[in-house]
Amino acid sequence: MEPSPSPPPPSPPLRQLCVSNQSFTMSGLRNGAAPVRTMEDDSDVEEEALVADYKEQVQYEDGMEDLERVSSLTMAQQADDIQSKLVAAAQPLDFSAPLEVKFQSYDSYCNLFHYILNSDGPVDLEPPSHYWAWDVIDEFIYQFNSFSSYRLRLARQARDNEEERQILRDNPNTWGCYSVLNVLYSLIQRSQISEQLAAMKRNEDPAAVAGEYGSKTLYRMLGYFSIIGLLRVHCLLGDFSLALKTLDDIELNKKAMFARVMAAHFTTYYYVGFSYMMMHRYADAIRMFSHILVYVSRTKNFQKNAQYDSITKKNDQMYALIAICVSFHPTRLDDTIHTALREKYGDQLLKLQRGGPESLPIFEELFRAACPKFISPVPPDFDNPEANVDPIDHHLSIFMDEVKTNMWSPTVKSYLRLYTTMDLKKLAGFLEVQPEELRSLLLVNKQRTKQLRWTDQALLEGEWVNVSDLDYALQGDLIHISEAKVGRKLVDWYLRNLSRTYN
Amino acid sequence: MDSEDPQERPDGINSIINGLERYNPEAVPNLEDYVRHQCENRYTDSNANRTLLKLYQLNPDRVKDEVITNILVKALTCFPSPQFSLALHLIPPSVLAPANTRNEELPEAVAKLRLLNDQLQGAQYARFWATLDSDDLYADLITDVDGFEELVRARIATLVSHAYREIDLPILEQWLGMDGDAAHKFITEKAGWTVDGGLVKIPKNPENEAKKSEVREDVNVEMFSRVIRRAWEETA
Repeated sequence: MEPSPSPPPPSPPLRQLCVSNQSFTMSGLRNGAAPVRTMEDDSDVEEEALVADYKEQVQYEDGMEDLERVSSLTMAQQADDIQSKLVAAAQPLDFSAPLEVKFQSYDSYCNLFHYILNSDGPVDLEPPSHYWAWDVIDEFIYQFNSFSSYRLRLARQARDNEEERQILRDNPNTWGCYSVLNVLYSLIQRSQISEQLAAMKRNEDPAAVAGEYGSKTLYRMLGYFSIIGLLRVHCLLGDFSLALKTLDDIELNKKAMFARVMAAHFTTYYYVGFSYMMMHRYADAIRMFSHILVYVSRTKNFQKNAQYDSITKKNDQMYALIAICVSFHPTRLDDTIHTALREKYGDQLLKLQRGGPESLPIFEELFRAACPKFISPVPPDFDNPEANVDPIDHHLSIFMDEVKTNMWSPTVKSYLRLYTTMDLKKLAGFLEVQPEELRSLLLVNKQRTKQLRWTDQALLEGEWVNVSDLDYALQGDLIHISEAKVGRKLVDWYLRNLSRTYN
Repeated sequence: MDSEDPQERPDGINSIINGLERYNPEAVPNLEDYVRHQCENRYTDSNANRTLLKLYQLNPDRVKDEVITNILVKALTCFPSPQFSLALHLIPPSVLAPANTRNEELPEAVAKLRLLNDQLQGAQYARFWATLDSDDLYADLITDVDGFEELVRARIATLVSHAYREIDLPILEQWLGMDGDAAHKFITEKAGWTVDGGLVKIPKNPENEAKKSEVREDVNVEMFSRVIRRAWEETA
């Protein structure tokens, strides 16, 4: 393989970009380093606006179907029509499409992005719909993802399909990582979206820094959703902290642009939550998953079937991830979530919470079912089928190290809860482990109750807090245990009774 | 100690990891030098090191085995933070596959370091020191990292002080991987604890108090303003 993969002619290699365009150092990202974020943004007005927006989208969907039929008819006649290319770029590629079509699709993306990025000045185009930009980036990454998986599968099966294997071997850079990253970073750069978002955070007019490209809807939307796209790609490549860093400029709230496109909203929270989980920040992961799942359950009624089906799978995946996270970090969940979780994964949850070696296969099963389809960053080795490890196995095995370290914590904690002081040797007897083992278990559990938890800064930041209601300290072999008492849930109580009086 | 974005990081490295330079294979030598600097000066910059691993990920022809293992050894010293696993996620699985005939040493080295990490994460400190002594390969792996054992020992001492008020000296000695005068010196001088016969006393700190607390909700009328307003709007 060539040392420096470069995508086909249309898009310039990323490297060239870094060298030739020194001004692009993302310094804009750092400008609004510590803005004060407004937390009270979920007023009724906004919720209503979101809902209205939502209904509108659903209706759009209806219109689109007709539009599609028309455009696929006219496509043949007006192959040059750029508008139809825009529409086509957002169309899902059939999963079983032959390799040739996948290559063609890559070329047409390259052509389209080349046209948008490298024309003489900004191109004068209106996006076909307000969620078009999301669809394009989503589909682009999806195809990259499924192409990589397909290529790996072929490389692992040395027997058949020699023809396709040869094609893939000869074209290592088609749907290559560098090309995909290049497209996303270039769109972000062209649109000055980071600068615009930073300005918005400072309550300044984004138009002042948008430049000739970024002031156009097409570029602004593409740039914005490329940031979300990057979050996803970094996560798919196993770089979880960079994934979260990518969102430095985007505020996660209902005002955010992504919240206007349901699929984007949903995807963002899934990947942010997943990245948190892989960074062992379970409290934050649960917060992310809960937020979006509650939102989905509230808007379920407006969701048309087609769109709803597509998110049902991710929905279930997030419940599986919540199950994993709560067993690491027991916490009180929103009632809606709790009920749904028990419905979907009741048995598994019970086993996870019990811990011990019996829980390991359940962790594996849920992780496999709910993780993103990880991508191997480099083309596989076609001459050496056994050397190609499925990246899911790789990431799972690392994750399982952490699971194994913590698998006794639920048991230990359940015993500690029963006492205020306890002799270590006696407890070791109950648990049927050596005192030395128990000392380790106690240290592990103690260390894990300290977690970095997000407050209101960038996603990667946070405060070290004690996330458990159970704390203890050792004096020789004597364990002093203290449990935080939870007072009455007054707010809940008032809310319940208030709503009763209204009905 | 900040092992994610340390103060020691020079501006040049900062601009690499925060800009598009992070994808430029030409940045590899700079980042490699920087790893060496960290190894010699007893600090860790996990963020910069992951940038290097990412460049290796995208440009496998650039991979230097000893740099990968040095990064992992540095990450080991940051337990119980997830730095080691975050680094491991970025190492291409094909490099670690035992079936990989090109290279047999790296998979073995990484497997060995992973064992050490499991022991440190699992707070099995006595076992960690035993493992470290069990094979000459470990000595080779940590040789570039100045003060590896001291760094690990200091981490262990900090974590022990979070959980213990008093601890039996023999147990502590096993955990610190030292005994006799050396251990006594470390405990009293480095850690600043007192030894009383067979017992080590650790001063109070916020972590080893295990104070009782109560979680309470403070309620005020504003919290219900939405509900009340909506009810009024509906009837109006």
